Order: sequence, then C-alpha cells, then structure tokens
Amino acid sequence: MFKCLFKLVSTLMICTLLLSACWSSREIEEQSVYVGMALDIANKSERDKQLEAQGGITEVDSLITATLQIVPIKSVKGNQPKEEGGVKKYLNDSETGDSIFEILRKYALKRDRAVIGHHMKVFIISTELLEKIDISTLSDFILRDNDLRPSCMVFLARSKAADALETNQPDEIPAFYIRNMTLNKYRNNEILDGVILTNLDQYIESKQSFILQNIASYQGESEFAGAGIIKGATGKWIGNLTQEDVSSISWVRGEGKGGLLKAVNDNNKIIIYEIKSLKTKIIPKVDGDRMTFQVNINSEGRLIENWDNRVDVSKIDVQTRMEELFEERLATMIQNLMNKLQKEYKVEVAGFGERLKITHPKVWQKVKKDWDEVFSDADVNVTIKLKITDYGSSAE
Amino acid sequence: MFTRTDDKITTTQTSIFISSSVLGAGILTLPRSVVSAAKTPDVWLSILISGIIVILMAIVMAKLSQKFPDKTIFQYASNIAGKPLAFIISTLLLVYFIMIAGFELRVLAEVTMFFLLEGTPIWAIIIPFIWLSGYLLFGGINAIARLLQIIFPISVLVLIITYLLSLKIFDINQLRPFLGEGLLPVIHGLKSTVLIFSGFEITMFLIGHMQHPEKAIKAVVTGLGIPACIYLFTLIFVIGGLSVDAVLRSTWPTIDLLRSFEISGLFFERLEFPFLVIWTMQMFSNFTCYYYGASLGISQLIKVNIGPVILGLMPFIYLSAMIPQRSNDIFAVGDFIGWSSTVLFMIIPLPLYLIWLIRSKGLKQHV
Repeated sequence: MFKCLFKLVSTLMICTLLLSACWSSREIEEQSVYVGMALDIANKSERDKQLEAQGGITEVDSLITATLQIVPIKSVKGNQPKEEGGVKKYLNDSETGDSIFEILRKYALKRDRAVIGHHMKVFIISTELLEKIDISTLSDFILRDNDLRPSCMVFLARSKAADALETNQPDEIPAFYIRNMTLNKYRNNEILDGVILTNLDQYIESKQSFILQNIASYQGESEFAGAGIIKGATGKWIGNLTQEDVSSISWVRGEGKGGLLKAVNDNNKIIIYEIKSLKTKIIPKVDGDRMTFQVNINSEGRLIENWDNRVDVSKIDVQTRMEELFEERLATMIQNLMNKLQKEYKVEVAGFGERLKITHPKVWQKVKKDWDEVFSDADVNVTIKLKITDYGSSAE
Repeated sequence: MFTRTDDKITTTQTSIFISSSVLGAGILTLPRSVVSAAKTPDVWLSILISGIIVILMAIVMAKLSQKFPDKTIFQYASNIAGKPLAFIISTLLLVYFIMIAGFELRVLAEVTMFFLLEGTPIWAIIIPFIWLSGYLLFGGINAIARLLQIIFPISVLVLIITYLLSLKIFDINQLRPFLGEGLLPVIHGLKSTVLIFSGFEITMFLIGHMQHPEKAIKAVVTGLGIPACIYLFTLIFVIGGLSVDAVLRSTWPTIDLLRSFEISGLFFERLEFPFLVIWTMQMFSNFTCYYYGASLGISQLIKVNIGPVILGLMPFIYLSAMIPQRSNDIFAVGDFIGWSSTVLFMIIPLPLYLIWLIRSKGLKQHV
C-alpha cells in the first residue's frame, strides 16, 4: 500500500516538473510584435533633445534613426472604442542611436511591452543612409539575430524610409501591404522579384552589385518607383534606375510573367502590347579579352490597346508593322539601360554575370573581382522578336 | 505483445540503427562545412563519393565482426590482438563514443536554445535527455532498436516534406555550373564530407547483436546508403535554395533554408519549428546510439553489469557536453570527432582485419 502511494506521489511530482509547459514562455498578448523596420539618417527630434538634456540618451553621436512598425494597436494603446471606424492598425515608433541592436533595446526603456521581431516582414533603408553606411554594416544585426526570419524582404526608400511605413488607408498595415505588392509582378514588370534577407546575404558575400526596389512615398501613399543600385565593391547606394529601366531589366532577365510595352505608331498614336509569354537567353561569347553578350528576347503577346482608329488591327501587315514598332521601342529601352549601366554607373545588375558564371566558369573566376569594370567594356547585342498573336475581343 | 529476451535485432533494425547513428546534428551544419571546403556548388558529388568510401569502410568492419558471431569489438579484439592491445583499442573507442555523445547533445541544446527555447538553461535541456536515454538503455538493445524504428521514418518523412516545400525558393542555376572548376574542389570537399558520416563505428558492436549476421553487409549498405541519400538531398536543396554565397555566411544553413520562406495556407506557416521539433527526436536517437555503445563497451571490457555503467556514465556525458565554451569550440570538437573517426578506422578495424587474415589464413591459427 505504502509502495503504491509512493509510486503515485512520485509520478505526480515528476509530472508537475516535466509537463509544466515552457520554461521561458511569455504571453503573446504581453508582447509588441513589430512587422517592419525602416532605417533613416539620424534626425534628432525635439523629444530626443529634451531627453538628452535629462541624460536619457547615450552620448555618442547618433547615426541612425530606426522606425519600427508595431501591431496590433490593442497591444500598444489599450482598447479603442469600437464605433470609431478607420482606426490605424499599427503604430510607428522611432528611436535614434548608432547601433541597431542598441536602438531596439531602447524600446525597453520606453515601452511596457517588449518588442519582438519574429514577424518582421519588410526592412526598408533610405538611400540617403545607404550612401553613407554600407549595406553589410546596416544589415549585420538583421542577418545575425535569431528572431528575425531571413524571409523578410528588403527595400530602399527614395525619401524618408519611415514615410514608407505610413498609410492613410484605414485597416491596412503598410508592412504587409508593401510585401504583397511584390506579388503583382505578373501584372507589371516594373516590379522586381522580392529580395529576401537570404538573397542579401548572397549579394554581400559575393560582392557583386545588385539592385533593390525603391519605394516612393508621399503623405501616406507609397508606390514602387524603380530601383536603387548598390555597388558591390563598396556596398553603398550609387544611383537609381527608373521604372522603365527596371522593366528593361525584367525583359533582359526574362523574368516578367506579365506586363506591358508601350510604343507610338506611325501616326503618333499610342499602341500597347501585353506580354503573354517571354523567353530570354543571354549568350556570352569570350574571345581573348573581348567579351560579347548576345541577348535573344522572344515574346508573344496581345495588342491590348490601340489609340489609332484609322488602322485595322486584324490585318496581318498592320500587325507586322506594330511588331516592328514594339521591337524598336524595346531595343531603345534596353539601349538606354545599357548606357546607364555601362557608361553612367559602371555596374552590372542585369544578370549577365550570373550567365557568364554558368557558361564560362573559368573566365568568371578571373573577372569576378572587377566584373563591373569588365562589363562596362563588353559589347551587348540585342535581338528582339515580338509576336502579336491576337488583338483581344475587338477586331477593329 | 511478444518481447524478445535474446538481445538480437533484425536486419532492418540494424540498418536503422546504423542510419540513426549517422543522422543527427550534422545535417544542420553540413552544407556550410562542405561548401567552405570546396567553394563550388559541385559538393553534392563529394557526398556521393564519400558515401561510397564510408560504405566500403563499414563493410570491412562488418566482415570483421562476421568472423566472430555473437561477439562485439570489445570482446573479439583480444582474440585477435591480445589483451593489452585490445584494452587500448577499446578504451579509444569508448572515449570516442562518450565524446560524440556529448557533442550531439550539445549541438542539440545549442540549436534548441537559439531557435526554440530561448531562455531555458542548458542543463534543463541536456539532463532530461540523458535521463530519458538512460532509461531507454535499461531496456536493452531490443527496446532501443524498436524506438529507433518508430522515430526514424517519422523524422525522415518530415525532413523530406520540408525539403520539398522549400522548392518554392529552389533555383537550379544556383547549382550551376556543373564542374565549372574541375574535379579538384570536389576532392577538397571529400575531406569534410567523410567527416559527417562519423559514428558508423557502432557497426563493430552491432553486428554481434544481429539475428542473421550473414546479412550484415546488406544491413550496413542500406544503413549508410540512406544517410548518404539524405545528405545528398540536403546539399542539393540547401545550395539550390540559398546559393553557395549565402550558405557560407550562415551558421545553421539547413535551418536558414527553412527560415527563408513562408507557406501560407498550411497548418504550419514556418517549417523550421516542426522540423526542429521532429529532428530533435532524431538527435535523441543519434545520442542514444553512442550512449549505448559507451555503456556496452565499458560493461564488456571490465565485465560488470550494464546497469551501474549506464548510471555511472551520466555525469561523464554531461561533462563531455558542457566542456566546449564558445560555439567555435563546439564546431572544433565536431571537426575533431570527424578526424578521429577516420583515424580510428585506420588503427582499429583495418589492422585487426589484416592481423586476422594473417593469423587465420597465413599462419593457419585458430582465432
């Protein structure tokens, strides 16, 4: 009897020890989750100056202002009255300092709930800051931390990065909104494939130049506006590509699953081509020191808009003429892009290097260190074949 | 229920035992160690070659064990090489098993603390594992083999499912160019790929427990073929998903692969958590194999009951897990274990097999 009781009691005791849930569990309701982070050049607000005077801020010169987007509002401000529709679902909070981790831990000094980064979706850096500090320094903590997942996406902001995390649409959380916008690539090839932290790791390690999608924002409205170029050798931002350039890059990389091409016809009227399929092949040729890239673009599409009511688009010769016009237009676009890459910025961000690495690995080993310069002297020939396969539901 | 009391395991169980002894924490760091040695995406070739090398090594061990049915290395070593030499050999092997057991536990604890249970003290993770494993060991080899048989398919299935879901970010171009820098990097990669198979030394005592020792070769080949395939898949998916450059910058590349994408609509959005939880079981099996090897060895070497040995080993395994201070120390221990695995093969089964050949075939002695 005693033995039986002993067994029972000891089992129960062991159960309380082993089954009493997580050691260091914290209730999710008592945490603030941040979903976005924006980095700007330090801008001391009046509040910071006041706090500094009272000894509230470290004395080192501040470099960076980090803005966190914290959700949901309930965890930040207590209950909101329900009838008040259109309440902001997020709260943006900025802190200034010279180390990202230090800034993040400063939130512990001013918020009752700890901020946690397990759900960070977007990481936005202002081009102004990236001109001063290189990207590997700025993203070091983000890549090192165990909370932040590498699936977080990286963007640049033309103006203040913190503004990109603002929206005036009720019920929207800008961090999610921006992230989901990258999914629209099948509608518009001015959108780049989303760059996640893992890709950033790869770019930093390989020291090759790359581009990141730019976000332009004004008074709570944000949109994708071209891309910023980051020079591989220095890791700093050196310039921007326009939306048209980004579209050309999509054509060259063969990435666009959709999108359009706008041209004017012989009567100076607008005609628009909608991409249905796109196949691009870059063929590198190396002859001694001379490097030539043959870019073959093959696409099929639809004539989707025609402003010239004098022509009959169902006629085959009209279609062939339009194909020529579109091809010329695309060739000019790509030519503009190449001028920018090879002459103005002297960088290569359109995937030629990756292609050379696969077809001529030995050559790549030799040139990869100063690939940007080597590419600037290379010849790029573009052959474009566009085919208008149909003209939609109106024959006229 | 039919319970076996004869301490024998089937051929399938032997295979799973060997697979479990190889598959453990190594898979989490494998891509980085291999890629940093070779610096090309062709390292998956290295794993194929080293898999074959390791299988050949294990076949030598199995052949040797087959000559002495029902005996383990700790028993038959003295038949071949004499008592003093056998004692040294067995001690080396025991130290190796204790070291590798501690290492596996430590990596398990480090990963768990970093990704799953931040804030839980390390002893609270390690000690329950030692206790549980010790309890399992009291059940004898049959109990262990059965548990491994349950855990192994689950963990491998989850691993394969998570890899397949990572196809979302898979890019075949990351694995190209194929042999762009020739075969030399593949050879460089061989060094580190042989290391990740360390632990298959348990073959030397496992064959003695087989019900049909004549099928030992088959058991060893499947037992090592499975981890070789899993390692091959790991390299292909991790490099294809992350790229060689990103792998070089990642401490735990395999987990980073799972952390690089989110699956919406599935019950789990983030696959690293289910994967780590399931893989923890595999690391437990892995640890148990070595713990068993060490206990069995000591009990057979000094001819005592296995019970007190199991209990007596607990503090030593804890110590061996806790000795490394920094994460660099842990990885250094991992490398050291890998090297010892190769060295142990050179100084134990190979010479023993040769001596046996000379004595039985050459000198016609009865060994």
